[in-house]
Amino acid sequence: MIRLSQIRKSFGRNEVLKGIDLAVEKGEVVAILGPSGSGKTTLLRCINYLERPSDGEIAIGDLRVPCRHPSKQDIHRLRGKTAMVFQQYNLFKHKTALENVMEGLVVVQKVPKDEARRRSAELLEKVGLGQKLDAYPSQLSGGQQQRVGIARALALNPEVILFDEPTSALDPELVGEVLAVIRKIAKEGITMIIVTHEMGFAQDVASRVVFMDQGAIVEEGSPKELFRSPKEERTRQFLQRITPESVYSI
Amino acid sequence: MKLDPAFIWTAFVQLLSAIPTTLEITAVSVACGFLIGTAAALVRLYRVPVLQPLASAYVTFIRGTPMLTHLLLILFGLPMLIDSAAEGLGLPFRSVSIPMIGFVYVSFSITAGAYMSEVVRSGLMAVNRGQLEAALSVGMTTPQALRRIVFPQAFAAALPNLSNSAIGMLHGSTLAFAASVVDINAKAQIVASTNWKFFEAYIAAALIFWGLTIAIERLTALLEKRVNSYNRGGVA
Repeated sequence: MIRLSQIRKSFGRNEVLKGIDLAVEKGEVVAILGPSGSGKTTLLRCINYLERPSDGEIAIGDLRVPCRHPSKQDIHRLRGKTAMVFQQYNLFKHKTALENVMEGLVVVQKVPKDEARRRSAELLEKVGLGQKLDAYPSQLSGGQQQRVGIARALALNPEVILFDEPTSALDPELVGEVLAVIRKIAKEGITMIIVTHEMGFAQDVASRVVFMDQGAIVEEGSPKELFRSPKEERTRQFLQRITPESVYSI
Repeated sequence: MKLDPAFIWTAFVQLLSAIPTTLEITAVSVACGFLIGTAAALVRLYRVPVLQPLASAYVTFIRGTPMLTHLLLILFGLPMLIDSAAEGLGLPFRSVSIPMIGFVYVSFSITAGAYMSEVVRSGLMAVNRGQLEAALSVGMTTPQALRRIVFPQAFAAALPNLSNSAIGMLHGSTLAFAASVVDINAKAQIVASTNWKFFEAYIAAALIFWGLTIAIERLTALLEKRVNSYNRGGVA
């Protein structure tokens, strides 16, 4: 249902995505791994056009966006079908947790305020923040802010949620609560693409793992395949460097 | 000569009648300046072709010349422009029918716009780019994102400097006397010249300006409390 074809992106002369093909089926949880500078975050940001791909095609459901000549409407529709959870949370600073979740519903999807409020409160309850509806982002811990971010993404009922290193900015002791929430919604069959450095988590939650390096997909497969018996030398090197022994030598 | 404290009070009472003029000039120039400034700031931040160099030239020229000079240029230049335009279009309208305060409004708005564009620009730059991205990612259009997410935060960040600009324009409005508009200061001069008690009259004027400034400060503090309630306060 999501199909990226030959996605290319250059910043000046530096080509950071060299023709990426990736298909994600409904309900899949795809983890994208790779060293920094491999283009994984750029790829994710191309999917909702926070970054403009230079070439290729993005298709979600029946919407096909030609990246060379996208119309404003194409981009707007694409963003309507996707939601994003940011590394730095990016909660609307001047709005409470509840308002953050409601904002997209009310302003974009034109859901009546009362209903938006009810649904948003439910979602915040679900991510364990039922007590924090009226707190401003500055009054919340990083982990709590990120959980609001996840509720905000869920509220939009998107066809896919894009996670951009959702735990990279968190204190180590707060990582667990955020991963627990992502794990919980993964079980509900929501399609997700997650850029992450949490190998254990990727292995545990992802239905498929994609390894990228230097703007290209090196290898993809089930977590089991990729972590235990990577085919490519480059993947093996990467995993050896960052994965604890126990994860892949069982 | 001796100070005549009683005359300070007499002058004070007489000066009250000029307060509306001063406030009108300030309010118009701050309001129009804010709009002009916001437009100029957006044009520069978004690097709008053609308009960007114009906006930059506007800001550097206006900030590089005194406010009194702006008033004099407008006072003598604008009527020529209007009259030749009206003549060219065959309209019966002539600039003499424009009240002097109209030129003051135009000139001071242009002055305020240049200074405020920098204030607005700093406010907009204080908003993290992630805020705009988050707004776009939930499906907002850019105008929606600017209006609902970016501007409120930029306004909160710019408020202390905006109040500075407003106070500057309040005090600058005294220059309107050059266009024979009677503001508080001009009125003080008139009141004083009837009985040569200049010092007393200007003390009264100073007190009124101080009072008005305090009012602006209070108003800002109230507004700041409202729009900034989400912040736990700067570096603290």
